[in-house]
Amino acid sequence: MNRCYFFLSLLFLAALPETAFAHGASIQYRETSAIAITANYDDGKPMANAQVVIYAPSDRATPWLKGTTDEGGNFTFVPDSDPKNVGNWDIKVRQAGHGDITSIPVTGGKLVADVSETNSSSVGSDYTTAQKVVMAATGIWGFVGTALFFSRSKSAK
Amino acid sequence: MHIPDGFLPPHICLAGYGITGGVSWYCLRQINRDRHVQANIPKASLLTAAFFVASLIHIPVPPTSIHLILNGMMGAVLGYYAFPAILIGLFFQAVMFQHGGMSTLGVNAIILGSPSIAAYHLFRQRDRFRSNQQLFTKILAFGAGAGSLLLSAGMFAVLLITNISPDIDVNTERTAILLSLGSYGIQAAIEGVFTLMLISFLEKVKPELLKS
Repeated sequence: MNRCYFFLSLLFLAALPETAFAHGASIQYRETSAIAITANYDDGKPMANAQVVIYAPSDRATPWLKGTTDEGGNFTFVPDSDPKNVGNWDIKVRQAGHGDITSIPVTGGKLVADVSETNSSSVGSDYTTAQKVVMAATGIWGFVGTALFFSRSKSAK
Repeated sequence: MHIPDGFLPPHICLAGYGITGGVSWYCLRQINRDRHVQANIPKASLLTAAFFVASLIHIPVPPTSIHLILNGMMGAVLGYYAFPAILIGLFFQAVMFQHGGMSTLGVNAIILGSPSIAAYHLFRQRDRFRSNQQLFTKILAFGAGAGSLLLSAGMFAVLLITNISPDIDVNTERTAILLSLGSYGIQAAIEGVFTLMLISFLEKVKPELLKS
């Protein structure tokens, strides 16, 4: 009878969730390559606490990872090295209707070789202030030229 | 207040283009009836330049910064010319500076352009006041500038809140959009004062520019 109670107790203990007995803990570490993104508004201010959604190449409809940027607009993730996830990873950062979507080429869990260390996520944000001023000036001159064309005197036609 | 590419579903973007096409046709028809098209196109062109470049000038309003939209001012000064002017300005902003996007050009034109037509009709009410017209002109100029911006902000918020992607935290995004309406309120006051100052200046130095 005692043996029966003993086996019943063992069965009961085995049925309990494993975590209830997790008195110890262990930390493992390894070196890996992560991709860090920094999201800024176009005036240079960081997009603090903005929502980040990452889509892997194998399934662009379902988010692979969701997160939030820190106060400096930074977010770091480690892409998996699964062969089916070789290609462009889409990163969406959004806050109050503002944000951007960019694609990062990844192979084997790392950035592809021809991508430089720091890349701009949006085509427009890699212009310098001087370039923007020149572009704005050409745009303005186009509109002013249109105005001059239509305001020319009739004798000049 | 420019919605970028990828933030709205395709059917909304297509509907935006459809409505923009209709409103553009209506505005061009009204412009075609204008007897002074040759005189008004240079005015519209110069204000399109102002609209185009205004998005690059950031005004610090703690804790963030804003850039002027000027759609109310354009409506008050240009009338029906304002909508095509804003559409052209938005196109160049999207192409050159990635403010907004090509897929959302139609939606952005509706958000920023249609309030400018409302501002034009509001500002036209000054003709009804024979006495104290200067005072009413100032009040209506402020109302056109501020009201137009508030209308745009309202349309912007409603469109975004009703189309938040389920991939992101809907409540967080909705709260962020509603909080941003506070800064748009400040911007509306700034645009109202700017429109008032510009209209007052034009009325003193070249009042014929304000004739509709």
